Amino acid sequence: MNDGTLVLRVRDLIKSYGDNTVLDRVDIDVGRNQIVGIVGENGAGKTTLFNVLSGLVEADGGRVELNGAEIHPPDYHSATLLGISRVFQEQALIPNIAVYENIPLSHERLFARAGQLMDKRRMIETAQRIVDATGLDIDVRRRTSDYDFSKRQAIEIARACLVPQEVLGIAYPIVLLDEPTSALQKTEEAAFFDLIVQLREHGSLMFVSHRLSEVLSVSDVIYVLKDGRLVATVDPTEADERRLHGLMVGRERHADYYHEAGQLDAARRAAVFETQALTQGGAYAEVTIEVRAGEVLGIGGLIESGKSEFGKGAAGIVAPDSGTVSIDGRAPIKLDLRALMKHGLGYVPAERHAEGMIVPFTVAWNISLASGQDIFSNALGVWRGGLETSVARRYIEQLRIRTSGAGAYCVTLSGGNQQKVVLAKWLCREPKVLILDNPTRGVDAGAKEEIYRLIRDLSAKGLGIILITDELMELIGLSNRVAIMRDDRVAAIVDARVVG
Amino acid sequence: MAPRTTSLARRFGAATATIGIWLPIAVALSLIVFFSVATDAFMSLRNVTAISGQASTLLLASLGATFVILMGSIDLSVGAIVLLVGAITVTTVNAGGLGVSAVLVGILAGAALGAANGLVFAFGVIPSFVVTLGSLSVFTGAAWEILRGRALRFDSISFENLAIGQAVAHLPNIALWALGAWAAMVFICFKTRFGRYMYIIGGGEAVAETSGLPVKRYKVYAFAPSGGMAGLAGALAVARLGAAGPTPGTDLLLNTLAAVVVGGTSLSRGVGGVHRTLIGVLIISLLDNGLNLMGVNQYAQMIVKGAVVITAVLIGQDRGKSVVMK
Repeated sequence: MNDGTLVLRVRDLIKSYGDNTVLDRVDIDVGRNQIVGIVGENGAGKTTLFNVLSGLVEADGGRVELNGAEIHPPDYHSATLLGISRVFQEQALIPNIAVYENIPLSHERLFARAGQLMDKRRMIETAQRIVDATGLDIDVRRRTSDYDFSKRQAIEIARACLVPQEVLGIAYPIVLLDEPTSALQKTEEAAFFDLIVQLREHGSLMFVSHRLSEVLSVSDVIYVLKDGRLVATVDPTEADERRLHGLMVGRERHADYYHEAGQLDAARRAAVFETQALTQGGAYAEVTIEVRAGEVLGIGGLIESGKSEFGKGAAGIVAPDSGTVSIDGRAPIKLDLRALMKHGLGYVPAERHAEGMIVPFTVAWNISLASGQDIFSNALGVWRGGLETSVARRYIEQLRIRTSGAGAYCVTLSGGNQQKVVLAKWLCREPKVLILDNPTRGVDAGAKEEIYRLIRDLSAKGLGIILITDELMELIGLSNRVAIMRDDRVAAIVDARVVG
Repeated sequence: MAPRTTSLARRFGAATATIGIWLPIAVALSLIVFFSVATDAFMSLRNVTAISGQASTLLLASLGATFVILMGSIDLSVGAIVLLVGAITVTTVNAGGLGVSAVLVGILAGAALGAANGLVFAFGVIPSFVVTLGSLSVFTGAAWEILRGRALRFDSISFENLAIGQAVAHLPNIALWALGAWAAMVFICFKTRFGRYMYIIGGGEAVAETSGLPVKRYKVYAFAPSGGMAGLAGALAVARLGAAGPTPGTDLLLNTLAAVVVGGTSLSRGVGGVHRTLIGVLIISLLDNGLNLMGVNQYAQMIVKGAVVITAVLIGQDRGKSVVMK
């Protein structure tokens, strides 16, 4: 497929922020009609590389050549005119306009007649041609928001790949895909890969992904970044997931990554947390589950299966319409977070920065966040500052949170260490049940392993844990039993060993 | 553009988390130096006594409002509460019987007005600036109903002495009240659950909700002391002036807000603190007094003060995060 001609040539690319070197003399080659995979832990420099290529960030040194000519796009729009376009992690389509209006977004000028009037018919024709070329079943005259998330993502990818050729007349465009499948379902992934392979006919693709298996299956070549350096160029036909992972973290993946040996046999133990027919209209219905002491109950299912909403409902953050929740087999508790907390519940949200912690605050302030009412202040409402600091120090040590101290601001912590702070916020309450929604999202592989070990340690102490996760391997590796949600309901509860 | 803004915000987040407290202190000191050189009267004992009297009313009124701003909201009705409570207090004093404890009536009346603001804000889920803009009009109207366009005098030496007596030579008593209230509020800000929750709600309301904080309740709690302190300010202001007049409210609206933000409490991020408001009040009072002594007219003063407020907000703002008043 690769006819050997280079489209993009990156040499000695350097970028640093203060003392922190994020790209350290990186070399990358992209051939015509080639799919290039880029892998690395968080902070390895993948996104910065994309930011430099697409004109969002200026490099400190090195060369970027496109079809033999050196380029320095000053901003993203200029990069698109050169033929480099990008699909961002967050969707960039405007939902309330028609698909055909979204496709040439920012290049409308090329469809203008007499300056301002839009040639609507030509726009529709071009947009439909782009969509058809990718084999998508989409009517471009419909509103963008009429299509679901995965369709919209496909539209966005098709736009990035085909607008350069169809609209701008660029022969060899390059498309940068940043975690394109992180929000897609397993079933949609197959369609996504078909799309990628189709699009290879039209241009070159570079894509960043945490999912190593998908990188291995579609890439023509894989570049491994670690700490801003290119550590390996891998031929996917000669590598496997474990080898890639080893290159990313600098060592081989632990054979027992999920500490499965530490899993407790909880089948005979008492339930610590039960839901009875928990229902919220439009989100989840009739969810009845129980978690036993020392057990990890996984909840899997597609993004819109209602599993995250169920987590919020069971924790009383968004009160369900009906159903009950009980802890330790006692009478049902009011479906309100504060009431449930008193009985020993903790909840770690998926959106760490929006809901889990306040990053401009210190480690100590974030750890005490959920316990101001009952632990860190006395009956008169006077704050126990000394206790707060000593508790924070204890958890910094226990969970090995890498920080300069209890008074350090959380902005200075990595994603994994921030997540440990969020966990400490609940652990200092000595909970009986924890609901964890994607606890390792945005966490690098090293910290992930530590969080997995922590989950094991907690269940060894008899905590019941509900693990809601989008990562199938994590779901199977950590859970005793797995509840699969489909169309708002629990479709099945199975033993994780059977699934694995 | 998303990746760049977030990474920049994260990068500079720590550095701009607070304006160094030295900045407002330096501004206050340079104002003192400037006005001492520019005018003869500024450094006189008499003028210092006068400044401390003016600054005290402003400090009392701004202390409670600081909590509201810390929480990410705004209380535009502070000046109107001062006005209305002033009128209520004089009426109470003139009715006789209560004497000095009319101050308590003032505090309670103010707290009740503030709590009303808070209830509508928290349970009506209406932006605070809308609620308090409305109540600003309601309270001002009510005050003018009581005053009927004239100054309402009272005749009670003991009540007057609460504010203008000098337990410490050359320092009016109202300054002792203000400093005492400031110390109490600083304690509340840093050493109590209430203070901490103000920071948390301001820094991340959604985080507070998913951590089980009674957010709504504390929103009401924040507005009650804002009103209560404005009430105390109103009662002592009339004691100082000898009458409840129809004017003080409008000045205080901008001045309280100015004092809080100039001190370095940020609009809507859970950054700053009550201790800073003392410096903010000092800056605003020095500016008022000094410009007056220099003979700058009222209109030009308004222009200067407005510009100072906007500058303070510009300096204190983290431009990575848009400011949304709740």
